[in-house]
Amino acid sequence: MKNEPNSINLLRWFDPRNRKLGTWAFILNRITALGLTLYLFMHLIVLGTLARGPEAYDNFIKLAKTPIILIGETLVIAAGIIHGLNGIRIALNSFGIGTRYQQQIFIGLMVVAAGCIAIFVKSMFFGH
Amino acid sequence: MSTNEWSVTFEVFRQKKGQPAHYDEFVMKVDPDEYVLDVIERIWAYTDRSLTFRHACHHSTCGACGMRINGTEKLTCITPIREVTRDGGKVRVEPLRNFPILSDLVVDMGEFYLRLDEAKFPQVATLKEACLPFERKQQVREDGNFERLVDCLECGMCISACPVALTSPEYLGPAVLAAAQHALHQFNDKSLFDYVDNQDGVWRCHSAYECTAVCPSNVDPGWRIMDLRKNLLRHQISKIFSR
Amino acid sequence: MVNNNQQSKPRAVIIGGGFTGCALALDLQMRGFAVELFERGELSAGTSGRTHGLLHSGGRYCVEDVEAGQECIQENRILRKIAKQCIEFNGGLFIALTDSDVAYGDQFAKGAVECGIDIDELPPAQAIKLEPNINPALLRAFRVPDGAFDPLRLALAFAATAKRYGAVFHPYCDVTELLRRKDGQVIGIRCLNRHEDHFYTYEADVVINATGAWAGRITALANVDVPVRPTPGVMVAYDQRLVQCVINRLCIPDDGDILVPQRRMVLIGTTSFDHEDVDYIPVYQDQIQLMHKRAAELVPAVKNAHMRGAWMSARPLIASGGDARSLTRTFKCYDHAEQGAPGLFTITGGKATTCRLMAEKAADLVCQSLKINQPCQTRDLILDPYRQYFASVRSAS
Repeated sequence: MKNEPNSINLLRWFDPRNRKLGTWAFILNRITALGLTLYLFMHLIVLGTLARGPEAYDNFIKLAKTPIILIGETLVIAAGIIHGLNGIRIALNSFGIGTRYQQQIFIGLMVVAAGCIAIFVKSMFFGH
Repeated sequence: MSTNEWSVTFEVFRQKKGQPAHYDEFVMKVDPDEYVLDVIERIWAYTDRSLTFRHACHHSTCGACGMRINGTEKLTCITPIREVTRDGGKVRVEPLRNFPILSDLVVDMGEFYLRLDEAKFPQVATLKEACLPFERKQQVREDGNFERLVDCLECGMCISACPVALTSPEYLGPAVLAAAQHALHQFNDKSLFDYVDNQDGVWRCHSAYECTAVCPSNVDPGWRIMDLRKNLLRHQISKIFSR
Repeated sequence: MVNNNQQSKPRAVIIGGGFTGCALALDLQMRGFAVELFERGELSAGTSGRTHGLLHSGGRYCVEDVEAGQECIQENRILRKIAKQCIEFNGGLFIALTDSDVAYGDQFAKGAVECGIDIDELPPAQAIKLEPNINPALLRAFRVPDGAFDPLRLALAFAATAKRYGAVFHPYCDVTELLRRKDGQVIGIRCLNRHEDHFYTYEADVVINATGAWAGRITALANVDVPVRPTPGVMVAYDQRLVQCVINRLCIPDDGDILVPQRRMVLIGTTSFDHEDVDYIPVYQDQIQLMHKRAAELVPAVKNAHMRGAWMSARPLIASGGDARSLTRTFKCYDHAEQGAPGLFTITGGKATTCRLMAEKAADLVCQSLKINQPCQTRDLILDPYRQYFASVRSAS
């Protein structure tokens, strides 16, 4: 079944209009996956620079405390939690578990995710 | 049907072979309880005889009249106007996605139908085989040996809604996988496992569940795909131990 | 445009892609014709698609119209064999709700025997055990071999088989003109391909008009007419499969006397009235209300079900005087040579259950007129899987 050029259709993945909850899960999973992959690359690059000695490490810690990096790390944690929990839902479904209630399970897991992210944000920004 | 009358603007996708696609506007007087297909038919009968669209039964058994209405897949013969718009509103009518367009609202279902045949999908089954396992209490009579036409109308709406079918034409698609799952339960034909066990078969699904959301006929393709995965895994594991 | 079919075969153009047209395409192609079928919409987009899908046992006609009753039961048995792939066969019940119904039952039993329909009288209690949702106040019941079929897939099954034998199908092609020779012989058609917005001509040795309720429109293109009276009726679908068997009212044919199960629905039909424009028939609210009432008489639980759909369908009834209900539901073939248009034939009337027989008789008439001696072979031929109608899609690309 033939489609139009794939690049346009790829962008259509991220259009949730006229679609239901499942598409939100699909979109979230992809965006968090892209985010985590990007983070992985950056993390490896940073680790590479750290191999150059204690001065590099101190410079890095200074950078790590700037707001933009703190927000970035929050996003990474959020992405990890969301992607991980949704991934558990998807994995269970693939064994035939929880498929009938996949919408309710998704909502439940996202509430848990929101909770975890809130706890992390508190620790991150407002003390240990 | 009722005495209430609304004024609704229909924006209909038009494209004839070799010509550019565009939308035509038709302002229609409609009864909010009549069906979208009735109005499309009126547009054809009284305003524009060049409009092509697919329809046959008008009562959700043939699966021909699936279209996108305001961006969502609907079986237009059973979709009342009031479900998709209000008085003075707009209705955008487009053909199903992920099928080649023959003209206007007509898409080519050929490849889809042939895949369903490859999945060995029957149209008639016993009451027990025809429904989902968790519906047996409501749908199946313990006495009597009755058969019925199965739920899947082969309307293609699930394929249209599926984001994976959007970017991978080779993906078998929800209806075909659901059909294979049904056929496996009805005939226990293990060769169907081979048909679906590949990167364009049951493993391509990414759990968007839009197929289940748009199905007008209780097929629940999302559930069936996951059930197929479960049974396929069991089958593979049992093969390992029986060597 | 030249027909790209095998040369030296007599060329038949069939106009109309409903049950009759598709069955005729198979019959003629098997008899050695090169068939091209033209339908202005999707196959079954006319009356055929909108049938409530009752595979008649003939019980509905066995009292008033013995010929129709006999045809029905014979074709019922044939279709159950050759088109099994799209038929739900659970049998049917004729139930009496009033004293006059009970009295009608005697004529019914007699008529059924006369037509060769295998019926079985059931005590009301047993009928209720068979179908718990029927009206518990029923007074008499007969079991009949009714069934239900899918209206699109039956046409596709005939078409798929015809295609395998070499017939060519042109859906979305609207026949706009009949090509004539100076002596009046119809020698082909001109049609508009609605996908391309382009006209094509096709030559033929015979043109057969199988457009049912639209038969008069096509014959008008040759300035001849057929006595077809398009007679619409309403049908309503409910969203619960309340019965497994077809439930018929044991009375003379009347509005809303049949309730057909199909997939997860039950369908009630129908009414009968005149309407000028066959292309669009509105659904009338008062007729829907009548259908609700009649359905509830047969199966009271319908009152708690939700209406899933309501639609109109125009039967092709052959006029021979009298009101719409008494028009014969059997069919007729016409050779328009008698009216100055040799080469043009019309097959119309009838009902879905007898489509194969209609095609057989029409093909007989066509062969007779062309002095071709080929018998019908469709009686025992199990139809191809309906999806194979699209088989050429793969080889084409």
